[in-house]
Amino acid sequence: MATQAPRNRGADNRVTRSSLDIGGGLFLLGLAIVGYVGGFSLPFGQLSGIGSGLLPKVVALLVAAFGVALLVQGFLSGGDKLDQWAIRGPIFVLSGVIVFAFTIRPLGLVVAGPLAVIVSALADKDTRPVEVAILALALTVASGLMFKELLSLPIPFDPRGLIPEPVFHAYVGLKSGVAALFAGLKAIISR
Amino acid sequence: MTDLIANLALGMDVALSLKNVWYCFIGCLIGTLIGVLPGVGPIATITMLLPITFGLDPVGALIMLAGIYYGAQYGGSTTAILVNIPGEATSVVTTLDGHQMAKQGRAGVALGIAAIGSFLAGCVATIIIAALAVPLTKMALLFGPADYFSLMVLGLMFAVVLARGSVLKAIAIILVGILLSTIGTDLESGEERLTFGWTEIADGLDVAVIAMGMFGFAEILRNLETTVTRDVIQSKIGNLLPNRADLRTAAAPIARGTFLGSMLGLLPGNGAVLGPFASYTLEKKLAKDPSRFGRGAIEGVAGPESANNAGAQTAFIPLLTLGIPPNAVMALMVGAMTIHGIVPGPQIMTKQPQLFWGMIASMWIGNLMLLVINLPLIGLWVRFLKVPYRLMFPSIVLLCCIGIYSINNSPVEVVMTAAFGLFGYALVKFGFEPAPLLLGFVLGRLMEEKLRQALVISRGSFMTFLERPLSAGLLFVALILMLIAILPTIRKSREQVFQEAD
Repeated sequence: MATQAPRNRGADNRVTRSSLDIGGGLFLLGLAIVGYVGGFSLPFGQLSGIGSGLLPKVVALLVAAFGVALLVQGFLSGGDKLDQWAIRGPIFVLSGVIVFAFTIRPLGLVVAGPLAVIVSALADKDTRPVEVAILALALTVASGLMFKELLSLPIPFDPRGLIPEPVFHAYVGLKSGVAALFAGLKAIISR
Repeated sequence: MTDLIANLALGMDVALSLKNVWYCFIGCLIGTLIGVLPGVGPIATITMLLPITFGLDPVGALIMLAGIYYGAQYGGSTTAILVNIPGEATSVVTTLDGHQMAKQGRAGVALGIAAIGSFLAGCVATIIIAALAVPLTKMALLFGPADYFSLMVLGLMFAVVLARGSVLKAIAIILVGILLSTIGTDLESGEERLTFGWTEIADGLDVAVIAMGMFGFAEILRNLETTVTRDVIQSKIGNLLPNRADLRTAAAPIARGTFLGSMLGLLPGNGAVLGPFASYTLEKKLAKDPSRFGRGAIEGVAGPESANNAGAQTAFIPLLTLGIPPNAVMALMVGAMTIHGIVPGPQIMTKQPQLFWGMIASMWIGNLMLLVINLPLIGLWVRFLKVPYRLMFPSIVLLCCIGIYSINNSPVEVVMTAAFGLFGYALVKFGFEPAPLLLGFVLGRLMEEKLRQALVISRGSFMTFLERPLSAGLLFVALILMLIAILPTIRKSREQVFQEAD
């Protein structure tokens, strides 16, 4: 996959203590602790009838062991430094997603769509407001037509009736045009 | 042999119904469209488009999903050639010579030979799948729970050996995947595990949520921070059809790539990812003038691209016959099939022959489709790729949101996906590769189930894993793989293979 370990592993990045491995080890330890605590009260069972707690606990302990091994390796043998973490990107992109999650049910795609686009677009400091506004509008209409009308996914589009009447008429016109086109194609196909 | 033909005929009958051809076409088209977006690999594409298959019957849905998968694969290669950004690991190699060709004004030929090579490889792979399906399915029926468990251990060891970077981290991340798989209600005792009393995750995490977070959102976060200088080819695309000399040079690499890719794709670990690397290395070794490689050698595109497509397809074999996904994409396919009420495994072929052979036949049709769709549409893809990333990523975010919401109509899952986006970003920052986690997550559940069954049968004796010859053999191979991964000399050469590819 395109997500690989950080690329910049040049000589200048190598240090005697590897903050990359130390960080990774601590990260694993954290996960292991959460896993172990979450499975703490579950029964271990016997070998002939494994209880629900065996696998989570054993795996959590193994994760912890690998975390410790990484820590030791990071302290002793050196390696790469930890990359700088971006803050702006994660904050805005993930906020965009969360805003979508909270608005999609009560307000529908008419609100959730543009909000997700606008908020996440703030992640890039070169974002231009007008461009994003047009993009938000176009994407919302397009995905409404595509997912709601053509593919009939049960995604709420405008449950509150927020769209003003004339705009809605235009949308309905567009929608029936697309629907007719699609029905035509379907008729040709299934003949 | 006659069986093979009869089976394929049955499959063609299903796949060639106008309805299914249409689904296949739509799948390939939309798959390519999304797959072409830089930084959107097959996993993110499939997750995003999963909901559009919901209204279909299982056969149609699987055909469309397979189409989406091939489309996404091919879209990744297009991006690799035109923009020098590989959509996924398997098209990393294509960037080497493909992008160079493009810079020399031969982008068209590079894309053309990639399409032709992929198509030919796809034809061969389809026949291999059809031929192997019956014997392998029969073999699968001999597998007891202990054997299944050992086979999955073997698969995960393969994934470790083939993962990039530290072996420690590769094993650790698979374990984290298994740990995540234990979240939710325990099937046997009904106890809630690791839910911390949170009812939303009582049914366990959805594989789509993890996939979308780690491969959709985390990828955006990563792309945002490296101000990628995308150098979209400005020169002409040029002729699409390779000339005679090109074809003659490319013929043998295509054949060799197809063979390598098909074989590696069969492996229970993520073998398919090795195909393009192996093919590239082989072609470079065989070439009269190896220095041409990296400067636009057509063999360096033809071979790996054929291997890529062949492997992408034969990777279906372990899933369809044994019910064990060999890599992260197939792990996601398990999730997708489950949504449509299909449990992957040997019983599909015997109980639903229409579905099984229809899907296999549709693979061939899908490959033909890609050839037909893509060659004329390359101009469109180029224009698409020129859209700046600042406009591209908010669009991807919205599509991801709609996709993940539509899977279960659940806003909570959208929030969880965001959390996994952050989690995936952290993993990459700490130098972990996310793909093995997904594989561990899906295999984890199966493994626990088989482990329990095996131990019930053996009345609690772990020796059952060594007493059964099949299981013992598989564990032995897994052990050897483990040694390979750890031994320093072999590790060095392994790093070399990957570095050469960089």
